[in-house]
Amino acid sequence: MTNIKKRLNSERRFKFYGQLGVFLSLLFVTLLMLKIFTTGSGAFFRTTIEADVFFDPAIMKVDKNSSDKEIERASFEALADSVVNNNFKNLSEDEFIKVREMFTRRFDYQLRDYFLNNKNDFNKTVKMNITASSDLDQIVKGNYPRNVPESQRKINDYQLAILDDLTQQDRIGSTFNFWFFTNGDSRDPETAGIWGAIMGSFYALMVCLAFAFPIGLFASVYLEEYTKPGKITDLIEVNINNLAAVPSIVFGLLGLGMLIGVFNMPFQVPLVGGLTLGFMTLPTIIIACRSSLRAVPPSIRHGALALGATKTQTTFHHVVPLALPGTLTGTIIGMAQALGETAPLLMVGMVAFVMEIPGGPLDPATGLPSQIYLWSESAERGFIEKTSAGIMLLLLFLIVMNLTAVLIRRKVEVKW
Amino acid sequence: MVDNNIDFALKTNNVYVHYGNKMAINNVSLDFPKNEVTSLIGPSGCGKSTFLRCLNRMNDVIDNCKVEGSFIMNDTIDIYSNDLPIESLREKIGMVFQKPNPFPKSIYENVAYGPKIHGITSSKSELDDVVKESLNRAGLYEEVKDRLDDVATGLSGGQQQRLCIARAISIKPEIILMDEPCSALDPIATAKIEQLINELKQNYTIIIVTHSMAQASRVSYKTAFFHLGNLVEYGDTSKIFTKPDNQKTNDYITGRFG
Repeated sequence: MTNIKKRLNSERRFKFYGQLGVFLSLLFVTLLMLKIFTTGSGAFFRTTIEADVFFDPAIMKVDKNSSDKEIERASFEALADSVVNNNFKNLSEDEFIKVREMFTRRFDYQLRDYFLNNKNDFNKTVKMNITASSDLDQIVKGNYPRNVPESQRKINDYQLAILDDLTQQDRIGSTFNFWFFTNGDSRDPETAGIWGAIMGSFYALMVCLAFAFPIGLFASVYLEEYTKPGKITDLIEVNINNLAAVPSIVFGLLGLGMLIGVFNMPFQVPLVGGLTLGFMTLPTIIIACRSSLRAVPPSIRHGALALGATKTQTTFHHVVPLALPGTLTGTIIGMAQALGETAPLLMVGMVAFVMEIPGGPLDPATGLPSQIYLWSESAERGFIEKTSAGIMLLLLFLIVMNLTAVLIRRKVEVKW
Repeated sequence: MVDNNIDFALKTNNVYVHYGNKMAINNVSLDFPKNEVTSLIGPSGCGKSTFLRCLNRMNDVIDNCKVEGSFIMNDTIDIYSNDLPIESLREKIGMVFQKPNPFPKSIYENVAYGPKIHGITSSKSELDDVVKESLNRAGLYEEVKDRLDDVATGLSGGQQQRLCIARAISIKPEIILMDEPCSALDPIATAKIEQLINELKQNYTIIIVTHSMAQASRVSYKTAFFHLGNLVEYGDTSKIFTKPDNQKTNDYITGRFG
């Protein structure tokens, strides 16, 4: 009687420990997500200041019949200055600088982009929502405290007074920050975007896939279907398993030392980053491919061989197609792992400040994780929310990739 | 044992098979009459399946398996000759396995695969004919003619096994090896396969390994009894099952061991 009680109690205890473990891990994930979302959601909106913009022919020195090329070269910088002067009358030189600082430094670009699409507004006055500087943006979002001495603030008292004035006139607005999705990196948080990093990661992953998938597939087919078990095969197997556990920074050093050092490949480019990620993903892909090849029943091979198929025909007509779903799943999971790796990118220089969107694997670029790393290191307050927003995007991509892997596995699962 | 009036499809002499150090077949010599069914019977582990797999060199895929002896087909072709590619040999000697193993492709693809890789047919319509004829001979065509594009693994076990037979005869072999083809099937499916074997023997030499002595007695003309890697007795089925020469054979067929 006491025995059964004891046994049941220990049963209950272990169940409780398990539940506690699950609960705690869910709690941590939720807290992490909550933190990222509350910090990062601000990055998707930017503060704007409403201003009257007069597209002044005297300043722009172009007209609406000018070609786009000429318009692009027009002096929008001077136009921006005139907008500040027109909207805030009688500014001294010092006051002008302070007011101008409340707007983004890319004021002129915003005017130019607007004018290129609305040439009929030439010689007219229109109301525009001009993007505010990041410091003002952070004050409006409440991320900077207001009630501290002026010397500890990025926004001085004069600017605060103007801000309050503008708020009262309902000229402070908020708009969806599509720049975050379309721009490359920038010194100014309000114009910094993640698209450059996304493209950098995309090219790197494409290189990684093109390099690691065929090599991994053929290596695993050879090891699984052609080699006879023996000392050499065992040695290779052990080494592959070891490689899969090697820290990624070691592969980064390999990329730096071999690709850049020995083969003189360029620094900072997705080609080198992708190959380095490929070194890292290769063992993962080989292991996944081998296990899915092993899962194909020998009876299929025997059936084909008994019909007089050669080994290669048997392998590529029957075994590999059947193993492909598992192979793809493993590859996608390997790619997802590669997408999140930062250390190899750091080693091959894909962590530099790159404003241009890379147009191919040979253009200088950063990757998604290294961009997040860069932003997290930035002193500007505005980059904190960018960092979290970048993490959100990275997580989104990872979830999408892993989900695809699961769906492929479900969809093409073969029933014997 | 040797009857001069009979044509032999395959003659084997002094066959030894080793798995590493373990002897699996010990000096077996067997001749298989043309267009007849020969059964190989014996208790589990007696080497009958090993011997069968020697005949189309399926043992070659097993790493430590060593086969010795002479295997002569139609009095001329040495099965283990280096001049004969293993693929051509298996074109002549087909095989049906214990567990139905259709490829997880369409029914059509299953039967068409052999002719395709051997280049037997030159046009699509010719291939269609071969597929139809093979399925017909395997007694499966009427059941599947409307769903040739369905995946073969959706068929019942007995249908799958007949599909495997259709697949084996699609490349027009001379000899068909069957390794316990009915052990995974129910009695009705088994009856169908046995009937099929009876029809097939007009065109093919069939060598069948079976656990069921009733099956051996029903389908085969000759029966060979294996025990512990030795060929104990070989002769006409009617004789083996009624008055065997060897005491062990007698014990086995009367169910005293095995």
